[in-house]
Parts: sequence; C-alpha cells; structure tokens
Amino acid sequence: MSKISPVTGHYVTVDVDGLEYKVFYLENGQGQPLVCQHTAGAHNHQWRGLLEDPEITAKYRVIAYDLPRHGKSDPPENTEWWTEEYQLSADHFANFIVALVDALELVDPIFMGSSFGGNIALQLAHRFPERFDAVIPVEGADHSPGFYLDWWQHPHANAAQVCGSGTWDLMAPQSPEADRWKTWFYYTQGSEAFKGDLYFYSVDHDLRGKLGEIQTDKCAVVLMTGEYDYLTTPEDGARTASQIPGAEFIEMKAIGHFPMSENYPVFKGYLVQALDLIRTKTTVGA
Amino acid sequence: MTVATRAPSVESWIQSFTEANNQDPEIQAHGKYFTCSYLLDMEAHTFVVRVVSGTIAQISVDPGPIEVPYQFAIRASAHTWGEFGKPVPAPMYHGIWAATFQRDMKLEGDVLVLMQNLRCLTRQIELLRSTGAPV
Repeated sequence: MSKISPVTGHYVTVDVDGLEYKVFYLENGQGQPLVCQHTAGAHNHQWRGLLEDPEITAKYRVIAYDLPRHGKSDPPENTEWWTEEYQLSADHFANFIVALVDALELVDPIFMGSSFGGNIALQLAHRFPERFDAVIPVEGADHSPGFYLDWWQHPHANAAQVCGSGTWDLMAPQSPEADRWKTWFYYTQGSEAFKGDLYFYSVDHDLRGKLGEIQTDKCAVVLMTGEYDYLTTPEDGARTASQIPGAEFIEMKAIGHFPMSENYPVFKGYLVQALDLIRTKTTVGA
Repeated sequence: MTVATRAPSVESWIQSFTEANNQDPEIQAHGKYFTCSYLLDMEAHTFVVRVVSGTIAQISVDPGPIEVPYQFAIRASAHTWGEFGKPVPAPMYHGIWAATFQRDMKLEGDVLVLMQNLRCLTRQIELLRSTGAPV
C-alpha cells in the first residue's frame, strides 16, 4: 500500500512592492485558513507535524509557505538580487504576507508564525487588523534585539553549521532528538537568508510603545512562548501580551523556540488551546 | 553511561569526560577537523581542553599564569556549570548560547575558532549532562 501524504505543494506568483516572487506553499485541510510562517533562515517543513495532523486539518486549511529566499521560494524574479545585501524590512515582510493572502484569495485567515514569524504576526495585527481573523505569535515579542550577528554568514567559519548549531540551544533538551536534528538540518540550508531575516527580527522590528494600538476586537491575538527560549523568553511574551488590550498569553512548558518543529505533540496541546480561545473570542465578538 | 548524581572529583571527571568524548559517535563521525584548545573556567577550577581531530588529547587542571595556551574561553560560575551537569538542565542552563544570553556565561578570546568548531563543541559541552560537572 502506498503511503502518499495528503499534503500538497503548489506555486503561486505574488507581486508586492515592485517585486515578483514565485512562492511555494504546502497545504492540507479544509475550513478556516491557518497561514503558517516558518522561523528565520528555515523553511516550511518546520510545520510538517501540523500539516499532517488529521484533527487540525479537519477544521482548518493549513497553509505553510516558504518565504522568498527560503526553501523552494526563489529570490525575486525581476531584480539582480545578488548585487544587494539582503535585509528584510518590517514593511516588506508585512506587505508580502497580505499580498500572499490576496493571491490565494483567503477569507478571514488566522496567521501563525514563530520567532520572526511571531514578530511579524504582531506587526500584522498592528497594521492590518481587518485582514486577519486572528494572529498567533509564537516566540514573538515587541522587541528582540541581539541576534543580527555576522557569525551566521562569516566566510571563515562553516556558515551552515554555525546556523544549525547556533540555534540548537533554542530547543529544549526534552524535545525528541530526531526532531531537533531535523530542525538543525533545516538551518544548515538557510545560512544565506538567515542574517538578512534577522535584520527584521532584531533591528527593524520594534513595537515598543505601540502595542496598545493593536485592536484585538478586529484581530484576536494569542501569544505562545516556550520556557526554553532564550531569545524571546516567557517573560518577554507575557510582557508583550500584557500591553495588548484583550490579548492572551500561553507559556509552553518543556519546549523551546521552534515548538512546532522540535516537538509537535507538545506544541499541539497548546495550539488547540489557542485556537479554542480564538474561536470563543471571535464568536463572542461577532 | 551512568548519570551523575553529585559533582564528580576532578580526576574522575577528566577520565569520564575524555572517554565520553572519544567514544561519542557524533563527535567521532564529524570531528575530523575538530582541533582547538579552550579554557573552561568553572570558578572553583579551570581546565584547558586540548582537542585534536575530535579526540581529547589533554585536559590541564588549574594551569598557572601563561602556562597553557588556549584560543578561546568559556567562563561561568560553579553554580551555572553545576546546572549544565544535570541530565536535563533547567531553562537557560541548557547550552552555551542560552547561558551567555540569559545567565552569567561569557565567551571570550578568539570566538571565531569557537564558531569554526561549533557543531562538535556544542555536543562536547552537552556531554556534561552525562558526566556531571566537577564543581
């Protein structure tokens, strides 16, 4: 008997900010769109557990895309991108996600991202609350300085191994070794994008003093942070949530900064809580 | 490998850490170019670990001033290293990046050499979870 996954892959062309991208995404399921952003320097396989989860995909259309320059999504088709240093801005990142949602003709999607995906989730709630039913910032915070480092792309070191092993400690020792090594493996593949992604994560992203402007009656916000995350700690997540009126915060035990990839079964328990909270909030608010 | 329940003596730790490293499948599979010398400052003791092609060739204990050269240093309190030596470390004591960002660990010296050897060094430091830390 063949073992063909129900997950399918597609490409969609996205035009945004004068750039043309051919974007690769994986999807499975039916229902409300749940759009998933991988972490900096990685790709959509981080969501492999969620994509094949029959319980979640019975209720949600899970879409996990590769951000341009990651995985199977190439850099822009219409520029000489190799002549410029890649530095991802908050403006372009947010505009891209809205353009992708438009290109896929998604209605009332929930956006979920981890790490820099968590930070852009906060940016989306701040900038485009009418475009998203809810956001789930995973390992996100108002501000996350300190990781825009030259080591990720230093020509005198093995950048693949520095990216893989430099993010190793972001995972919890309790997470299954095989899943941590898959996550490490993804990181060995993305070193040329990782540092430019972190320009957004650690430099351009700064919502300090603006969190109170987020309108959770239009776009619900549920933050989740793992206790082994040394970059955006549970304290950072709780502080961020406390400044967003109506936002919820869930601390995840025995897991780290790549929860969906390092230990999906543990992450799922918390994700179900978050989705239930969103359903309650958006139903009451409607 | 046995699980350490209390701090091992310096002598037994040198033996167990060296054996654990030299028999570790991951380090032996990927350590062909893992060659460097580094200082482990554990407050109560300092050690210079000299690694040659993935094998621990020597661990110098409490070396005197300018006695044993090294390329980079990993410094932290005895408490922090004690936490590193637990089978399942608490959050922020589970790696040199975590403890450097969130606790009292310091990475000093020629950090480029550390980065060049990061994969195997990460595994080597994690061996403390099975040997315990000698402080």
